[in-house]
Amino acid sequence: MEGDKARVIADPDTHDALLPSVVAIAPDGRVYVGKEAIALEPRLSREEQGRVSAVGFPGGEAGAVIRSVKRYMGLGGDEVAEQERRRYAFADVSGPVVRFKIGKRVYTAPQISAEILRALKLRAEKALGEKVERVVITVPAYFNDGQRQATKDAGRLAGLEVVRLVNEPTAASLAYGLNQLAEGKVAVYDLGGGTFDISILNIKGGVFEVLATNGDTHLGGDDIDQALVDWLLEGTAETLKADRHVWNSARHVAEEAKKRLSAVEETELVLELPGGVVRKTLSRAELERLAEPLVNRTLERCAMALRDAGLARGGVEAVVLVGGATRMPLVRRRVAELFGREPLCSLDPDHVVALGAAVQAGVLMGTQRDMLLLDVVPLSLGIETVGGVMERLIHRNTTIPTSVTEKFTTAVDNQTHVDIHVLQGEREMAKDCRSLARFKLGPLAPSPAGFPRIAVTFLIDANGILNVSARDERTGREHSVDVKPSYGLTDEEIERMLEEAIDLGEMDVEERLLIVARNDAHQILSALAKQLGEWGHLASAEERAAFEQASARLEAASQGTDRELISRLVEELNEMTTPFAERIMDAAIKQALEKKSIEELS
Amino acid sequence: MPLPVELDCFAALGLPRKLTIDLPALEERYHELGKKIHPDRFASSPPRIRSASLSGAALLTRSYRTLRDPVSRGLYWLELNGEKLAENNKQVPAELAETVFEVQEQLAEMRGAGAGDEALRRAVEKRRIELGLAMDELRERLARNFARWDRSDGSDRAELIAELKSTLSKIAYMRTLIRDVDRELDSPRMA
Repeated sequence: MEGDKARVIADPDTHDALLPSVVAIAPDGRVYVGKEAIALEPRLSREEQGRVSAVGFPGGEAGAVIRSVKRYMGLGGDEVAEQERRRYAFADVSGPVVRFKIGKRVYTAPQISAEILRALKLRAEKALGEKVERVVITVPAYFNDGQRQATKDAGRLAGLEVVRLVNEPTAASLAYGLNQLAEGKVAVYDLGGGTFDISILNIKGGVFEVLATNGDTHLGGDDIDQALVDWLLEGTAETLKADRHVWNSARHVAEEAKKRLSAVEETELVLELPGGVVRKTLSRAELERLAEPLVNRTLERCAMALRDAGLARGGVEAVVLVGGATRMPLVRRRVAELFGREPLCSLDPDHVVALGAAVQAGVLMGTQRDMLLLDVVPLSLGIETVGGVMERLIHRNTTIPTSVTEKFTTAVDNQTHVDIHVLQGEREMAKDCRSLARFKLGPLAPSPAGFPRIAVTFLIDANGILNVSARDERTGREHSVDVKPSYGLTDEEIERMLEEAIDLGEMDVEERLLIVARNDAHQILSALAKQLGEWGHLASAEERAAFEQASARLEAASQGTDRELISRLVEELNEMTTPFAERIMDAAIKQALEKKSIEELS
Repeated sequence: MPLPVELDCFAALGLPRKLTIDLPALEERYHELGKKIHPDRFASSPPRIRSASLSGAALLTRSYRTLRDPVSRGLYWLELNGEKLAENNKQVPAELAETVFEVQEQLAEMRGAGAGDEALRRAVEKRRIELGLAMDELRERLARNFARWDRSDGSDRAELIAELKSTLSKIAYMRTLIRDVDRELDSPRMA
């Protein structure tokens, strides 16, 4: 952000603003990201020619080039489509996490995604000349809890603090912002390479409130390419169709042809195969015939979102297009037809989401005081009840953060645990919804059936991620809740991966931990200074003196290299300022509540 | 009236316990409070503050959504009064029984005839308009009940509760009915 204007940072050396989400992992374990990875694709494959199994993916034994890793985030090993198994080799196909098998090593999607984030972090640091440690990351609006959690994990693995996940269509609406969007209802249609989202927002007085969102996390421009590949390879031998090398070359040819057809009416596709050359002419009309079923699927989702928002088709005042695939004239035409107005696309569809994320970062840093983003949870959340029925606790399109408290008790005497199975989805039966997590309440003291009263609060935070807490209503005590996610990485696994990354990394462990400790110190010192500035009257003179002393000690320690001393002083200061912090929160809420006189609204 | 003292939906929005609510003013209040206590405003604060803001914002949102929709507001009012719609809300209210029966017949007929039957479709469309009007009437009835509560000194409480329950249960039925009709009218027509 520069003032209140967002700017996309380009690589200072190459002047590239975009970083293609392509990661190549070479046989020796070295990692290449973006254009470098794309450049390696043909080389890696040439080495493999003769062996049928691989393009950009030598044999599943040597190295790999992975595209659109986002599609695999948060998926379980058994959730990978058959078609995708043709492209990559996977290990542990029934486990809770997709694992790519690359040579002798195994990589999860968050690890590969972390490589992209790391490359972006380096680029930004190079361009800005300062460290980048806190980030806002955008995700498809229709991402479920597991996919969001996996994205946060990727940030952590890249050594970044993920301050907020923002939904991509919402970010786009922030980028267009108040200058280009009038107040009122806005639809954002976001068709990217691998995912589709539609969000309907109401913009009013600086508040960007999402009314409804819908989408498909496995539908995008890549699927149009796939349809084109099938068309291109029609009539070729089956053995060639199954060949990863052939598939990848065909995909490349198809994608380029699709792009050309946004400008011209007809183009020729040339594909070199081991046994000869395939030449076909493709017209825009033919491309549109192939893409039509996919575009229709997106329009059905749009109709559902409109219905959830309580709007008629002509009920939106503006339509915004986001994502590379919206460059297709067919998409523009059909979207205009559905909503009854010409879509806005004055901002580059490849930049608009990043620009919006920067605006949201400004909101989080307190520089955009008058703006507020109210997003929604895309999928309903509930628990499994008797008979395998899904009981909905939080409905889709509920504004977040939101929470709901449910009471639980025991069914038999002296029951020591209550099992709870959390689900996400829109279907009636638990088995048709996606399992989110399981946890046990307890151990409970022996008592008659129905006696214990445990209140469990399901809270969805502003990132759309579930947090669970439990309280015993009889004793008032907090229960510990050990939530076992059904999919995704455990904390221990992430810790281990972090350690491995540090081992391999350029920096040693001590040095890294020292930086973390100094960051903590910096964060608490600046937060305290800010609070004393704004709310100083809530601290007594004695408190102030104590805070100042402790701050000075911490300030001095953080210049040094004693990591443990810094951590201890941070903890001390944190504890010491907690009562003050609580007073501020009380006062802030009270002030907010009292601002308007009660009579005004009655 | 004996109501729980903890921070309820009205208090969370700083409103008196009145059932008649001006919706634009309610929205404005919600946005104004949201700008102050939303977690976005405390992104750099210590964890304790962040979590207080998170639960504060969750309470605010829940309260706003409960009060915004008159039906959920009415249901919440029953809850505050220690009442709820009967668990066995299965029985169709007598006043609606005939309509429910007729509509289900019509829909079954439409499904059977396929989509080509224009006359049948027009009849269902006409029915949809009638149902919409009936729903408007029920909503007005609800608003009148709300206004009576706001004026009440408590002596007619039992009567008001009974009236509120009966109206809410009819609205629940009407909603399902309208949803079924819309679904049928929306379903793609074979050419």
